[in-house]
Amino acid sequence: MPANKKYLSSPWQRFLKITAGFVGGYFVMLSLHLLLTHLFPQEQVVITAFITGYILWAVLLLLAFLCKSGWKIWGIYLILSGTFYGLFHLLNH
Amino acid sequence: MNIRNYNIYFNTHTISGIIICALLYVIFFAGSFSFFRDEISAWQKNRSAYAHPASANDYDYLLDSLHAAHNLLGRDITFYVQDNNVQAYVNMGPSQDTTVKKKSTGEDGPRRGRRGRGNGDSAYFQYDFKQNKAGSYAESYDMGEFLYRLHFLAQLNQVPIRIGTPFGYLVAGIVSFLFLFALITGLLLHWDKIVSNFFTFRPWSKWKTIWTDMHTALGVIGFPFQLMYAVTGVILIVNTALVLPFSKLLYDGNSEELYTAIGYNDASTYEYAYQPLGERVALNPYLQQVSERWPGSHASRIYIKNYGDQSMHITVEATPSVETNFAGAGKITFHPASHSITTEKSPTVSVTYLDRVKALIYRLHFGDFGGYPVKTTFFVLGIMGCLVIISGILIWLVARDKKNIPAHKRKFNFWAANVFVAICLTMLPVTALTFIAIKLNPAADQTFIYRIYFYSWLASSCLYVARRNLRTTNKETLALGALLSLCIPLVNGIKTGHWMWQTYRTGALDIFVVDLLWLVIGIVGVIAVLRIRANERKVGPEKPVIPATREVAPITPLEEPRSAIDHP
Repeated sequence: MPANKKYLSSPWQRFLKITAGFVGGYFVMLSLHLLLTHLFPQEQVVITAFITGYILWAVLLLLAFLCKSGWKIWGIYLILSGTFYGLFHLLNH
Repeated sequence: MNIRNYNIYFNTHTISGIIICALLYVIFFAGSFSFFRDEISAWQKNRSAYAHPASANDYDYLLDSLHAAHNLLGRDITFYVQDNNVQAYVNMGPSQDTTVKKKSTGEDGPRRGRRGRGNGDSAYFQYDFKQNKAGSYAESYDMGEFLYRLHFLAQLNQVPIRIGTPFGYLVAGIVSFLFLFALITGLLLHWDKIVSNFFTFRPWSKWKTIWTDMHTALGVIGFPFQLMYAVTGVILIVNTALVLPFSKLLYDGNSEELYTAIGYNDASTYEYAYQPLGERVALNPYLQQVSERWPGSHASRIYIKNYGDQSMHITVEATPSVETNFAGAGKITFHPASHSITTEKSPTVSVTYLDRVKALIYRLHFGDFGGYPVKTTFFVLGIMGCLVIISGILIWLVARDKKNIPAHKRKFNFWAANVFVAICLTMLPVTALTFIAIKLNPAADQTFIYRIYFYSWLASSCLYVARRNLRTTNKETLALGALLSLCIPLVNGIKTGHWMWQTYRTGALDIFVVDLLWLVIGIVGVIAVLRIRANERKVGPEKPVIPATREVAPITPLEEPRSAIDHP
């Protein structure tokens, strides 16, 4: 019954996906919530992030596994967190 | 469903699940008992907290004795009042008054407790209002506290590895995050068949089918509950993952400021006036006033700032009665010098968004919003979580016990499952045994509980690991656990004279509930053991099954080789 190996990735790809999901996913989640502080009161975003943040992080970790290439998902997560954080920074200054 | 995605869900669910299974079982098992933490404390110390109104708490007696010993002038004193209103943790800070400070730094004050802030003569201790007695943390340690702390692996903090947070909390946090991940993948995995699988239960077929059905059915029933625990668990144990960056980027690196913004502590300071108040300020009348203003509320925290000075302020934080309000937090600040109220926020009106989210996190996690019906339901759901974990381990093993899997891998798989199951299932008899031990030894403290619990756990786990038979492990730990459970109310009755009918009659419900809990666990356990035996007899004498560890890979098996736990 174990999952069919044919659909699973090679060790190197797996390493890329795990790191992308865990590290990259964390930064996407964090920067998105930082950006949200411009739309909603700051402390409300912080307390909501305690709940939505961890769920979003876990979902992003899963999405990394679903992606075909570890490089691609690293790229997507880097661009996303860069955009979110960049916007947050620009709006702040 | 997309076959590729299905396989990915399957693999990630399996891997994350098998990594955390044993620790998650410990968390669920100890956590389920933690719903009755106050009750277990009352049971062990033989002192019911019932029929003890909060108004009976004499804060001034405590303040007077503290003042006599430490000179409270200019100090900040904080009371963290427990839900049962009997115990409070008390933190006494250093004095703002430099003249007092100089004098007191010379002599070494009593730095009791684990959270001594290192500020000369500040102190942190537990106080019992029923006995009017203070005790250090280790002295007042009991089984309720032990199981409560075990459920977030606090005992692992002894391991001298520190990455941001203490080791045990870090491990518990990673486990609950992976648990959240496993829940999401598990849900997606069963999504297409969620309705049909929900109504599928084939208890009379092959063992593997039973494990699978049990895992799916109980997993789906318990899903909302478990998801809530995964999320709130991460928040409560490793929230530094978010608090740290948020305070860095939004609050200039000051996490105290963040905690104040979301209402976790009261960091307000008042400038010290160096004008001592003429008369001593009594705290009891203020608390009386709070309970009159907000009937049914529970004063959870009391902050005294700049004691005895013109600038002295008393802040009381209160939660509303759970019978009327789920969320809400009241806060009132008094200024004794001018006999005035500086700020007031009622717990029942003007409930903010922050209050609501916080209530959601805490009330749901602690299950303290609906009395014993909710606690009992949560306990049952928690134990169901344990069953989901055990059946998950067994599915994992059985699914890999196939002829196409190399012998060394099967050997390892059986070894892993054997160890996991032995560690998990011995928890029931070990917990029951410790309950008996603490009742027989009234002087049981932290060291005693550690010794009994961890050594008996280690010994019994090793025993069942060595016997290498999952069936035996299951049957024997269940039988032993059930027998010991049934002994607990008896031992309590004989040792203290508090038989169940007496505690029920006198209204010592907390002591009664612990006895009843163990009685029910014992009865359910005995029924389960009898069913297992009846089932075995029906099937006939068990054929000698060769455990997978010793099995030589068969050359050309015509049928599937029988696994160690699969029934013939």
